[in-house]
Amino acid sequence: MTDVHAPTSKVESKTEAADLEGEATRAFGTGPAELAESGSGGTTGPSGTGAGWGRWAWRQLTSMRTALILLFLLALGSVPGSILPQEGADPASVTQYFTSHPTLAPWLNRLGLFNVFAAPWFAAIYLLLFASLIGCVVPRTFKLVGSARTPPPRAPRNLARLPQSVSYPSALTPGAAVDAAASVLGGQRFRLRRPAAGDSGQWVAAEKGYLREVGNLLFHLSLLGVLVSIALGGLFGYKADQLVVQGPANGFSDTAAALNEFHPGRLVTESDLAPFSLTLDNFTASYVDSGQNIGQPAAFNANVTYHASPGSPAKNYDIQVNHPLSVDSVKVYLIGHGYAPVFTVTGPDGAAYNEATPFIPANSNTMLSDGVVKAPSASLGFIGVFLPTAYLTTDGTLESIFPAANNPMVSLIGYSGNLGMNSDVPQSVYQLDTSQMTKISGSPHLMAPGQTWKLPGKLGSITYVGTEQWVSLEITHDPGQIPALVCGMLALAGLLLSFFVRRRRVFVRAEPGPGGVGSIVTVGGLTRTDASGGFEDEFATLAADIADVSAVDSAVDVSAADPNQPEPNNQSETGA
Amino acid sequence: MSVNAGLAHVSTDFMIAALLIYSLALLAFAGDYAFGRPRRKAAAAPVAERAAQLAAVGAASAGAASAGTVSAGTVSGDAADAGPANPAGPVARPERPAGAFRAIKDAGPWVVAAASLSWLGILAHVVAVTTRGFAVHRAPWGDMYEFITALTCVAALFFGYILIKYRAWALGVFVMGAIVIALGLAETLIYTPAGPLVPALQSYWLSIHVTAMTLSSGIFFVAAVLGIMYLVTERYRKRVAAGKAEANPLLDRIPSASQLDKLTYRAVVFGFPIWTFGVMAGAIWADQAWGRYWGWDPVETWAFITWVIYAAYLHARATGGWRGVRAHYIQLLGFASLLTNIFVIQIFVTGLHSYAGVQ
Repeated sequence: MTDVHAPTSKVESKTEAADLEGEATRAFGTGPAELAESGSGGTTGPSGTGAGWGRWAWRQLTSMRTALILLFLLALGSVPGSILPQEGADPASVTQYFTSHPTLAPWLNRLGLFNVFAAPWFAAIYLLLFASLIGCVVPRTFKLVGSARTPPPRAPRNLARLPQSVSYPSALTPGAAVDAAASVLGGQRFRLRRPAAGDSGQWVAAEKGYLREVGNLLFHLSLLGVLVSIALGGLFGYKADQLVVQGPANGFSDTAAALNEFHPGRLVTESDLAPFSLTLDNFTASYVDSGQNIGQPAAFNANVTYHASPGSPAKNYDIQVNHPLSVDSVKVYLIGHGYAPVFTVTGPDGAAYNEATPFIPANSNTMLSDGVVKAPSASLGFIGVFLPTAYLTTDGTLESIFPAANNPMVSLIGYSGNLGMNSDVPQSVYQLDTSQMTKISGSPHLMAPGQTWKLPGKLGSITYVGTEQWVSLEITHDPGQIPALVCGMLALAGLLLSFFVRRRRVFVRAEPGPGGVGSIVTVGGLTRTDASGGFEDEFATLAADIADVSAVDSAVDVSAADPNQPEPNNQSETGA
Repeated sequence: MSVNAGLAHVSTDFMIAALLIYSLALLAFAGDYAFGRPRRKAAAAPVAERAAQLAAVGAASAGAASAGTVSAGTVSGDAADAGPANPAGPVARPERPAGAFRAIKDAGPWVVAAASLSWLGILAHVVAVTTRGFAVHRAPWGDMYEFITALTCVAALFFGYILIKYRAWALGVFVMGAIVIALGLAETLIYTPAGPLVPALQSYWLSIHVTAMTLSSGIFFVAAVLGIMYLVTERYRKRVAAGKAEANPLLDRIPSASQLDKLTYRAVVFGFPIWTFGVMAGAIWADQAWGRYWGWDPVETWAFITWVIYAAYLHARATGGWRGVRAHYIQLLGFASLLTNIFVIQIFVTGLHSYAGVQ
């Protein structure tokens, strides 16, 4: 793979090959991509031996066509990852998909389509692609080193046949004119070659733009670096989620046991966790309160107090959505928020429950939230809905009309009986198992803060004390992050070099003028890799610069000297 | 901060004005095709001389090439005009490249009108986008309407640039046509009043990431128009060559297939690094906002797919059997995936990027 822009089109290469004398274009833009291309492509079969097969397979793999097909497969393979729910991003949706498509889902799962980007077949595509890349880049690097050591090729005899050429008379002798031209080209940092002993004529050959190939190689190698960085993060990084309710009593320490969810990399142990602890002092969410965008969030601020390690001094930080907290090598992000109504439950035997209970938002626009209260010691359980701005609509349904807690209310359905929490099956804190319970009253009971619901039949009571808020924090550590960024920037730099530097050759030849007076100077130039364009202008400017120093005081009658000079396609004349 | 309603109205008015002026420019470009000054042989395809250097070996011989005129001739027809008093005779020295404005002037009143209107429209468009930004106190590409108006603005600016750099007025009908359609649809279908941003978008990375994505999308937009022109004219020319269709004089005004091919390539070469940068800036921002730099969110996935397809296009141009028509199909596939990302994934697939504001 890789010579992103060597020969621009088949037709051009052909005309060039026909028009140009071989030497000017020798080893110019012919990367292994082209070699591989002509060598493989399925026309030549492998020889019978094992090594022959190996070589054949390697050639196939490193051919541009294979790289192209692998690129397509990579693009195509990514598509299901964006359409189907993915384990990594949204496991709940995957579970839901299994429920709603009971026959299809297991098949998709067998193909790894719920975890595309970790699937073996996806890894096979990109690993083959990178193998193909290495097979191309390594030989090209050697080739680049080689070409940087050899001087530019000799000037072709007939410069007028080059894609760019110009000819003009000069009063200087051929030698002096070429010297002047060489000084201009040298001043613009071209690599120069002058005739050696045994070469005939007066000429200078110049070449520039090796950085193009350097950029191309840098780009591809850096992509490899990005891949390695991602792997590094996967092995040594970790990610954890933690829900934190407002208040000093509800803080947490960064230990695997304390975290709600912990996803370590393959080589991470629990002792690698950063030893910080954190409490949420205050969380504020503000919303647009008028106009068309009413209810849209305007700002989230989570003011926290944290200790970088046990015993280190307490520090404060305001975590915002685009403003994570950095503690040593980990970052703490604000990724969600919600309400935690505080309830006191009293059973027949006295107080059984007194906690802020996180409710999960069911509607992100109105923050209408669902939750459960479990008081197993009182044999009581409640399924609740929290409405931050409760509003009774005209048809009698209760809604939340604004996400802020302007008129908070909870609506509870009570159950009494065995909560089933003694069995070994773990229960979600957000779900109440009512299979062994009886419903207390017919309709949901609506409560404002401070209100108490006395349950019938001396079962006890529940008080809605008030409302706290919670935030969900994500704690991540990714040692591959900085390497990935550096490699990404190098890749971009390489890309820019390979696109905007052109490798070009410029030749200047001077022949004695008519009657031995002065000289006729011809400047020719070509490029094969002018991706961004503009060589023409560069050449025209360069030719003018050269003319400024080499055409001084022309005393030659030009029309007599060379009546039909640049007729480039007319091969029989000029400069002979 | 609240929205400045007065400025928001100014923005809307300028946007409508830009749309009208673009439509007039489109008419003028069409007028040039219908009634414009016939191109001299040498200047038959203005883009040619700038874009196709190698083809120029032949083209220049047709020009008034005098000794001393650079044989690749920047604008060969005009170079003769701009040349010395005696254009038939040889010149003593090579010339520096000739100016672009003169080339436009020489192309006739229709082109002058079309180019002026284009730039006037671009000016109105830029004012509209800028005032929207000031009205909402942020970079004006936070919702779908803003994104499309900014994207077309970039496409128009890029076209304005190649109009001058490559003398590309023959492309005006097609590029302006596409811009007018896209902007018109944005105005009528997805107009969204100016509003503030949700917290996730309140970051200076919004400006950086979305600016890069908008810029590159606008440039890919032009590349796609050129690609379609390439495929249509290439097919028609083949049919004419095979005697299956009648030659159409209009076809002579459209740049040749190899010129279109080259221009398309240059547009992609221009857009691709910006897209790459935009994706990287997005990754940095994602790390700030969501706690990971890459998480295969649907929109991220499609940005990656688009990147891979454009990379495939760049490689296809260096692969035997894939140049020309096939490479152009790949390039158009890349733009299709870009559009899929904007209009299908961002609107219908739930993900972290669901900010479009389209109901």
